[in-house]
Amino acid sequence: MLSIDFPAILASSVHDIKNSLTTLRALIGQLENSHQGPKPTEFKQLEFETNRMNNSLMQLLTLYKIDLSQFNLAIDEHSAADIVEDVVAQQSTLLSLGNIQLITQCDDDLLCYCDNTLISNALCTLVNNAQRYCKSKILLSVSQEDDYIVFCIEDDGKGYPENLMPSDRKQLPQIDLANGNTGLGLFFTEIIAQLHVKGSNRGFIVTDNHSQLGGARFKLYLP
Amino acid sequence: MAINLASKKILVVDDQAIMRETLKHILGSFGARFIVEAESGINAMTAMRIDSFDIVLCDYNLLRGKNGQQVLEEARYLKLLPVHAIFIMVTCEQSQEMVLSVIDNKPDDYLIKPFNPQQLLSRIKRCHVRKQYLSSIENEIDSGNLYQAIHNCEQLLQQNDKKMRLQLLKLQAELALKIGDFKTAELIYQDILHDRELPWARLGLGIAAFFLGHYDQAVKTFQDLIEQHPVMMEAYDWLVKAHELMGNDDYAVSSLNSAVTLSPLSILRQKKLALLAERTENLPVAKKAYTATIKLGKNSIHRSSGDYSGLANIYLKSNAANEALKILYELNQQFHNEPEAKLRSALLEIEIHQAKGNKALAQQAYGNAFKLNEQFNKQLSKELRLEMAKTFYLNGNSEACDGILNDLVKTNIDDNLFIKDIVTLCNTIIGGNYAETLLQQIKKELVDINNKGVRLFQEGNIKGALAIFKQAIIKIPDNHTIILNMVKIIIHDIKTSKPDPEKIMSAQSYINKAIQVGIPHNQISSLQTALDTIQYKTNP
Repeated sequence: MLSIDFPAILASSVHDIKNSLTTLRALIGQLENSHQGPKPTEFKQLEFETNRMNNSLMQLLTLYKIDLSQFNLAIDEHSAADIVEDVVAQQSTLLSLGNIQLITQCDDDLLCYCDNTLISNALCTLVNNAQRYCKSKILLSVSQEDDYIVFCIEDDGKGYPENLMPSDRKQLPQIDLANGNTGLGLFFTEIIAQLHVKGSNRGFIVTDNHSQLGGARFKLYLP
Repeated sequence: MAINLASKKILVVDDQAIMRETLKHILGSFGARFIVEAESGINAMTAMRIDSFDIVLCDYNLLRGKNGQQVLEEARYLKLLPVHAIFIMVTCEQSQEMVLSVIDNKPDDYLIKPFNPQQLLSRIKRCHVRKQYLSSIENEIDSGNLYQAIHNCEQLLQQNDKKMRLQLLKLQAELALKIGDFKTAELIYQDILHDRELPWARLGLGIAAFFLGHYDQAVKTFQDLIEQHPVMMEAYDWLVKAHELMGNDDYAVSSLNSAVTLSPLSILRQKKLALLAERTENLPVAKKAYTATIKLGKNSIHRSSGDYSGLANIYLKSNAANEALKILYELNQQFHNEPEAKLRSALLEIEIHQAKGNKALAQQAYGNAFKLNEQFNKQLSKELRLEMAKTFYLNGNSEACDGILNDLVKTNIDDNLFIKDIVTLCNTIIGGNYAETLLQQIKKELVDINNKGVRLFQEGNIKGALAIFKQAIIKIPDNHTIILNMVKIIIHDIKTSKPDPEKIMSAQSYINKAIQVGIPHNQISSLQTALDTIQYKTNP
């Protein structure tokens, strides 16, 4: 029988697509540079879409590997401010459009223990989503709550719909993957959070509409 | 801290023109002026020979020839990268870095594609800040002054920068391992793990256990790590080393085989697997690993004619003399003017002709090998010289064999694993108590040299003693006792005469050499302290 090494094919396809995405972005950049006069906002839109594609691909590959138990979590000590800086950097082009303001609050001395690439990627996806649903402001803050470092994303939009806010905090938000729900980012972050463990404490996420800006609030707890 | 890109020499390596253009544009918009681009690994190497770069951005997947990792390895090996240089590897996926990871040859950071200008700049800045912060340590490491590096590390730790604490502790523990102060390394790792389970600290604890001789504990640590982090290549590498030292070659082969399956692109792992499998007579695995090594070697600094002769020998052992002949032909094609390759080729020819029953041709090849050995003798690697000794003996020239063995034992007396190889060979081909007698005789010779030097020293003839040891070091460069005595006498000389910076430097260079050849910490540390005291007095 023909055997298909699906993980290898998936990984190699994802690499291929990511390479193409990178080239695509470079090409867009070149077009943008050669464009005379005021730049149309479509350029930024293009970057936004490639960002989304890239995040989805990364999540796809990571979740697939976790499912196969082939995933390696690279936990180390990182400065929370560095992670915030990574997220801001990733969103920088889009934010430069000026319609949306990303405010950050993070104590310079805060340290957290995590796989920083994964965490900043997850946060990027969520900030990316927040850009879609907010009116004008997003607040990304980091603080310490008891034994946890908490990354919090708040916006001034309409807030989460009911199905993305479980009444029981221990429960995953009800994500209807089959219907193409945008909750994949939340689902991914929850899975990633759970991989972070210290002693009997495990990472988790909380979603509610208690944002100080009036919209949705997302919190990622890391032990 | 800002970084001024205008003053930096930057190399951009990517096989796609559009990517190089984009990177140049981004870097230019941040003020960079000196940017060189290379579209292949070879061109990157050439560029690094011409200019000394401050920043290298290198794509991992280069279409043809060397990949990014091979560029990094070669650049470090040839010392084409200054200590302060930042090397950033551009990859497609995060987990790639684990699989790529090669001990001692990690880039300063990875950057995952695609990225925007701000992400690139932020990554360069962060590397720059970290390198600046650690420069007092890394400069000393680069000069081989490991004790001074540890001292500088401790000083930085005293500044109590919370953000840097763990990085400094990690460096300090690694340095402790390097100078052979395993207890200190163990304590540092235990302390870190007491607060937080971190894979690298757990690995470090296993390595400390390994060097302290607690092999069972080390093996358990590495196995547990692999179970929790199935792609942690370094844990495999150390597990293999531990199995090897415990004499469990079969376990070593199977662990290494798993590692190679996960990380097939690491030439050093393939090479090691080939050698181990050959030793355990696991011919299929050896054949596969040698073939992979040869293929990977085509673009690597680690390529060697030994990989070809290794594969050919496997074919000979599998009674496939014609296949061996093909490999021999390839060997000759690939390596034209290398003494080692020529000799390996001659040795192979002997075996192949013997296998095919061509006595005259075998004899002719032997004559050739004999001449080459005369010509290049001490330039050859110790492994090849040992093989040469064997060939001499088997062809009836026991005198030449004696000469080589004598010299090999003398120059490698402190290298336990190699001495074991020599003894095994002697016992197999010569027999009797040849090896035992040889070892005793040479040990006595070495004791005599040392005694003579020490006697002159005790009689107050410092010059005479120094002359004896200097001469001995030229002939037997890696001998532990001779190096230690040399340091002791120079330090005494400095103490009793006028302070002389040149003598201090000479003492320090012998101490560095002592660390490099693996003399344990407890024998070096008092000498380093003595030298530090002198230096402090002359230059407080």
